[in-house]
Amino acid sequence: MENLIANFNYVIVVILMMIGLWSMLAQKNLIKKCIGMAILQTGIILFFISIGAKNNALIPILTEAAYSDPDVATVANPLTQILMLTAIVVGVATLGVGLGLAQKIYHQHSSFDEDEILENQRK
Amino acid sequence: MTGQLPIIVILGPLLAAILAAFTAWLRPKLSYPLVVLGLAISFTAALKLVFIVADEGAKIYWLGNWGNQNHEFVVGIQITVDNLNTLLLTTVSGIALLTALYAKRLVETELAGRQRYFYALLSLLVTGLLGISITGDIFNLYVFLEIAALSSYALIAYGKGRAYMASFNYLIMGTMGACLYLLGVGFVFIKHGTLNIDNLSGIIPTLDPSQALFVGFVLILLGVWVKMAFFPFHGWLPNAYTHAPTASAAVLAPLATKVAVYAMLRIMFTVYSLDYITHSPGIQSVVLYLSTIAIVVGSFFSLTQTNLKMIACYFIISEIGYMVGGAWLANKPGLTGAMYHLVADAAMTSALFMAIGCIVYRLGQAQLDDLKGVFFKMPVTMGAFVVTMAALIGVPPTCGFFSKWYLIQGAAEAGVWHFVAALLLSSLVKAIILFRIIEIGYNRVAHPAIEGNPAIPRNEAPLSMLIPTVAMTLGLIALGLATNTLVNTIIVNAVPAALTQ
Amino acid sequence: MMPSLPIWQFDVLLLVLVVLFAVVALSIRNLMGAAVVFGAYSFMMCLIWAGMGAVDVAFTEAAVGAGVSTVFIVSTIYNTSATMRSRPGGIAFKLFIGVVVTLAGVFLLSALPDFPDWGDPNSPANATVAPYYIENSIRDTHVPNLVTSVLADYRGFDTLLETIVVFIACIAIYSILRIETAKSKTDEPEEDTATAPPSYDPSDSLIVRQASRFMVPFMQLFALYVIAHGHYSPGGGFQGGVILGASLILLAISFDLKFILRQWREKPLMLLVASGVCLYATVGLACMFTGGNYLDYGSLDSVLPNDRAMARSHGILLVEIGVGITVMFSMLAIHINLASNGRFDRGL
Repeated sequence: MENLIANFNYVIVVILMMIGLWSMLAQKNLIKKCIGMAILQTGIILFFISIGAKNNALIPILTEAAYSDPDVATVANPLTQILMLTAIVVGVATLGVGLGLAQKIYHQHSSFDEDEILENQRK
Repeated sequence: MTGQLPIIVILGPLLAAILAAFTAWLRPKLSYPLVVLGLAISFTAALKLVFIVADEGAKIYWLGNWGNQNHEFVVGIQITVDNLNTLLLTTVSGIALLTALYAKRLVETELAGRQRYFYALLSLLVTGLLGISITGDIFNLYVFLEIAALSSYALIAYGKGRAYMASFNYLIMGTMGACLYLLGVGFVFIKHGTLNIDNLSGIIPTLDPSQALFVGFVLILLGVWVKMAFFPFHGWLPNAYTHAPTASAAVLAPLATKVAVYAMLRIMFTVYSLDYITHSPGIQSVVLYLSTIAIVVGSFFSLTQTNLKMIACYFIISEIGYMVGGAWLANKPGLTGAMYHLVADAAMTSALFMAIGCIVYRLGQAQLDDLKGVFFKMPVTMGAFVVTMAALIGVPPTCGFFSKWYLIQGAAEAGVWHFVAALLLSSLVKAIILFRIIEIGYNRVAHPAIEGNPAIPRNEAPLSMLIPTVAMTLGLIALGLATNTLVNTIIVNAVPAALTQ
Repeated sequence: MMPSLPIWQFDVLLLVLVVLFAVVALSIRNLMGAAVVFGAYSFMMCLIWAGMGAVDVAFTEAAVGAGVSTVFIVSTIYNTSATMRSRPGGIAFKLFIGVVVTLAGVFLLSALPDFPDWGDPNSPANATVAPYYIENSIRDTHVPNLVTSVLADYRGFDTLLETIVVFIACIAIYSILRIETAKSKTDEPEEDTATAPPSYDPSDSLIVRQASRFMVPFMQLFALYVIAHGHYSPGGGFQGGVILGASLILLAISFDLKFILRQWREKPLMLLVASGVCLYATVGLACMFTGGNYLDYGSLDSVLPNDRAMARSHGILLVEIGVGITVMFSMLAIHINLASNGRFDRGL
């Protein structure tokens, strides 16, 4: 239990990931699938940011006083942050393409419902 | 100049794609030659690297020159060329180049008026695939995965109609795979704090009991399995590649899945290690069973299909089972077979989709029933098709025979008989399909050579498509004849050292 | 160990809220509502990240996740329909997926005891490679914002590829959606009721229009500052580019898409999208011609006036500008495509 509280961030990450995965696989509405995908991605970003968090650390921008000899323990980890900047951008790119496809599909079948679309295609 | 070769492999198609995005508006005719030039540069560089690496060993290239900072760990991004990936780089860029030459006519007819960014996207796809094969950084690999994935969604969606839904499904599955991979990278990173593959392979202990590392391993595997359409994650592949335009499918089908297999090999044997695999016997036997099921399922569904493209797609799924199984046998012949099959299967699938493309170009579609008399209409194409099928079945001296030979040897050595049975079954199924096609295409019409029967006019595919198809088919035989050299000079050095002593 | 920030209760509250918002966004029956709740979810998320010291990431998420992503979803819904048709059945399938996902979650949680403590400055992730950047960024590149120096220099290749991802998304959406309507400008496009977006009447939003007319210049000025000052403060090419793109999208929404289309024609817009990546890739190539490896801005010191570290600093500024250009125009082009359903004539 103690472990759960200390790692509360990671528990939230796992929950968000489960929500995202479930809605990508089980939801039938294409837009809901896209939103689920975005939630999964932000969950992973939260995971990486939590990995790089430091207690009592400041933002990863050095003050002039620290130019010559920065104290590593007081500056947040920049590496995980830039990895996640990339991940955010990849996320919005995928979301955009997904929405574009969803729009095309809607104009073909007048529906966002996966079952209805598949039925239409079988005809 | 030789020092810069590894980056040139990637820069060729990358810069060509960026320039093609300009010429798409300014001089539309220039896009195509630019992309072909980019791919040709990449292929030349990759081919040169094969010889350099075989002679001098692995080459490391530091982007931004951030490698030698007197720090224990690499702080920048590196790309690595070694015996495991030079062959793949050559295969990817070579097949992409040949397919680009082949695809011009197809694109002009299939995508008339909509081809503005087609070649740019094609070139970006190849960039992504080459990047996955060359990078030495597990996060960089994720970015390349997404580059390849995003451009392939667009390339598939060019097929219109059903292709949109197929592409959307692929997008959902592909993103899920990429996310699982990224999460796995996070689990590795939280334990070891570096992303560089060489550094990781040095510091991950061979028998690490860490649960986080194990979860990371499983997540990364699941991620690449979704990307390579391994059973039970294969659902997206058949629709996506069937409804895609033939030109897109001819590039995607042979390359995209193979590159994901390479990523799996890299993670299994370089980031983690051979001992890590062999000391988790539970997973090993589960994966071997999954591979067997993948082969059986792929073979079974290919029998039930009536569309030639669909059949070819299910072949891919069973071939993925070959490679994953071979890799997880974790012995020398099995791994040799898997690595050799990586190249051989890319070539075979490429030849198969090129031949199917020629048929589609002339007949309009590829339902089995439409193939009546096709052997008389398109003798050269069908000749290539039969040779390709023979290679897939495993007839010597084609490359398909040798890869199967190594795989069966490996499975027998490890005593995994269900895998041997699945390999043989899959050959049998392919033989049945070949004979069925011969029956329809050759026997179901009155033979035109016999007096009194109506003549069937020759209607061969245009030369610009036929020559690449025939070249690729001859390549299958050449690859088969060169097996010994390839295995003994390159692949033997790519197999983990513990197995070769 | 508890996170020892004085207001850790606040963090816990935000984390719980995030999960709540995610569930609401996915269970709400109206898609427009779902999009709005998703925007709120992203905004909560960016507060959490800011709380953990990741200001640049929070900044980007506020602009990208809470801003542009939500607009994309809204303009898609605007073109289609916000109602969800439900059909009975499928419960067994949903339950099955639920079980699979729960098992996956349990599997992930099984690794928790193996994790280093949250916030431990000596955990492997914080003590292996990361300290190098903190200690040497000033010496290597003269850039005090470590995120900028790592993003654009140490891991500049990732950033080049990430810009290319945006570029691909832009041309992919263009290829998927763009419908060539009329050949010449004078021709009225054929009315195609199936694909034409509903016409949008902005006359009832006088306050919004006047307010955005007033805000846009300040947004753009701020965005330029964010790009130019990214070396010393949070921000950089991505954030600035997204804000610039968002300012144009704001104009498009509060007035009319036609208003924006009069200023930004299709051809120059798509050429500008490509020119940003081209600038980035060319800077990299220039490094090769001055004798370094690809993206080794240090080797540009032979053509730039200062020493190697300063050359790196200038190189970073150049590529950030490239990133900004591509991101700005990609966001606008993606929005135009989604909002007008690829017709480039009218829409949200």
